[in-house]
Amino acid sequence: MPSVLDLRRRIRSVKNTRQITKAMKMVSAAKLRRAQEAALQARPYAQMITSVLESLQRRADIYDPTTGEAIHPLLVQREEKNVLVVVVAGDKGFAGAFNSNIVRAASNFIREREALGQNVDVEPVGRKARDAFRRLYPQAVYERKTEKYDNDLSEHHEIIRHRAHKVELTGEHELLLARLDFNTVHAMVHDIVARFERAEIDSVYVVFNEFKSVIAQRVVVEKLLPIAKLGAPEITAAEEMSLEQKEAAGHAARTAGVSTLEPEETAIEREAKKFGTADVDYIFDQSPARIFKHLMPKYIETQILHAMLESAAAEHAARMTAMDNATSNAGDMIDALSLTMNRARQAAITKELIEIVSGAAAL
Amino acid sequence: MAETTHNTGLLSVRLVTPQRVVVDTTAEAVELPSMSGYLETLYGASPLLAELGAGEVRLHGGASGNEKFFVAWGFAEVLPERVTILAEQAMRPGEINVEQAKADLQKGEKDWAEAGDDAQSYDDANAEIRVAEEKIASAEGKAAH
Repeated sequence: MPSVLDLRRRIRSVKNTRQITKAMKMVSAAKLRRAQEAALQARPYAQMITSVLESLQRRADIYDPTTGEAIHPLLVQREEKNVLVVVVAGDKGFAGAFNSNIVRAASNFIREREALGQNVDVEPVGRKARDAFRRLYPQAVYERKTEKYDNDLSEHHEIIRHRAHKVELTGEHELLLARLDFNTVHAMVHDIVARFERAEIDSVYVVFNEFKSVIAQRVVVEKLLPIAKLGAPEITAAEEMSLEQKEAAGHAARTAGVSTLEPEETAIEREAKKFGTADVDYIFDQSPARIFKHLMPKYIETQILHAMLESAAAEHAARMTAMDNATSNAGDMIDALSLTMNRARQAAITKELIEIVSGAAAL
Repeated sequence: MAETTHNTGLLSVRLVTPQRVVVDTTAEAVELPSMSGYLETLYGASPLLAELGAGEVRLHGGASGNEKFFVAWGFAEVLPERVTILAEQAMRPGEINVEQAKADLQKGEKDWAEAGDDAQSYDDANAEIRVAEEKIASAEGKAAH
C-alpha cells in the first residue's frame, strides 16, 4: 500500500491536471462562442448569393434549348471517374474523437470509391487530416508544359496531370481554420474549379463536421460539384451524434455557459433571402447569363467557407466536451485517491494505537 | 423603417462580405464601381443588378456621413429604397496595406508576362493587376470617378 505522503503527492498532481483541463475547457468555450458568431456572420452573404443565383437561374437560359444540357461548366454532369474529396479536420488534438471521426468518414468514402473503380484525389484541410493521409497516399504529379509556336513569338501552356496511383494527394492546407482568411479560401476554390473545368476531376465532395449547435452535429459527406440544385446541398453520407455524445456535449455546454440552442434567423438573413428576387423588372448592368457565370464560383466559395466555419466551431465544441470529461474524470480520481489516503492514514493510526496498547499490556 | 426612409428619401445601404455585414446604414446617394464604370444611385432609382469591379463604394449623406469602401469584386442590387452590396473584400482606404498591394501588382504583371496564350490566365492576371492598381489608388485617395 502506498504511503500517505505518496498519495497526497498524487492527489496534488491530479488536482493540477484538473485545473489545466478546466482552464482548457473554458478557453475552448470562449473560442467556440467566437467561432459560432463567425459562422452566423457569414450566413447573410451565402444566403444572398444563393437567392440571386436561384432567381437568375429562372431568368437566364442556362440550359441549352436544343440539347437540354447545362451551359455553365459547374453544372455539367459527367460520369464520375476521377473524384476529389476535400477533408476538413482540425489542426490540433485534445479534441476527443473529433479528428478521428472525420478521418474515418473520409477513409470510408475513399474505400467505397476505390471499390467502384474510381480514382480519388484527396485534399486535406487541417494538420490532423494532412498527417493522417500523407502517410497513406503519394502526392499528385503535375507538369507544366510550354510549347512555342509562331516562330517562338507565342507560347502555349498546359498543365498535365500524371496520375500514377488510384488515390493521390492534390494539396494540403494546414492552419487554415485557426485564422480563417477568405483569400485563402478564394485561392483554394479557384484551383478546384479550374481542375473541374478542365475535366481533371468529375466531381467534388467535402467531408466535414456539420455544426448546428453543440448538441446537433454530424459528420457529413457533401457533394459540392457538379451543382445539382442551388441552395440544397446534396448530403451523400452522414453520421449522427450518439445519445451519450449528446449528453456529454450538453453537460459541457451547460457548465461552460454555452447555449445548446440553434441560433435564430436574424432580420438581415430574412432579408437576404429576398436578395435579387424582387418581383420587378431589373435592369441588368451586364447580361444575366454573364452575371450567372461569374457568380457560380462564388457559390462554391461560400459552401467551402461554410464547411470550414462549421468545422472550426465543431472542433472547439469537441475540445470543450473532451476537457469537461477529463475534468470530471480527474474529480473522480481525486475522490478515489482521497478515500485510499484516508484509509491508509487510519490504518497507520490504528497500527500505532495497537502498538501502544499491546506495549502497555506487555508491561 | 420603411416609413422613415420614405419620408426622408434615404436609401438603406448594406455592405456584406463573406465573413460579416460590414455596414448597415442609410445614405442619400451611393456610388458603385460597376464593371461598366461608376454609377450613382439615389432614392427611388429603378431596380438594377450589377456586377462590380475593383474600385470604391462611396456613400454620401444620411447616417453614413461620407464613407468610402474599397471592394475588389462585388455584386449589387439596387431597389428604389435599398442598395445591397456583396463584396469579396471591403475595406476603408485607410486599412489598405499599400506595400502588399504593390507586391500584388508586381506578381500580377509577372503572371501576365507568363500567361502565354491561355485566355483564362490572362484574365486572372489582368484582374489581379486591376485590383492592385485600384487598391493603391484608393489608399492614396486618387481613385477614379
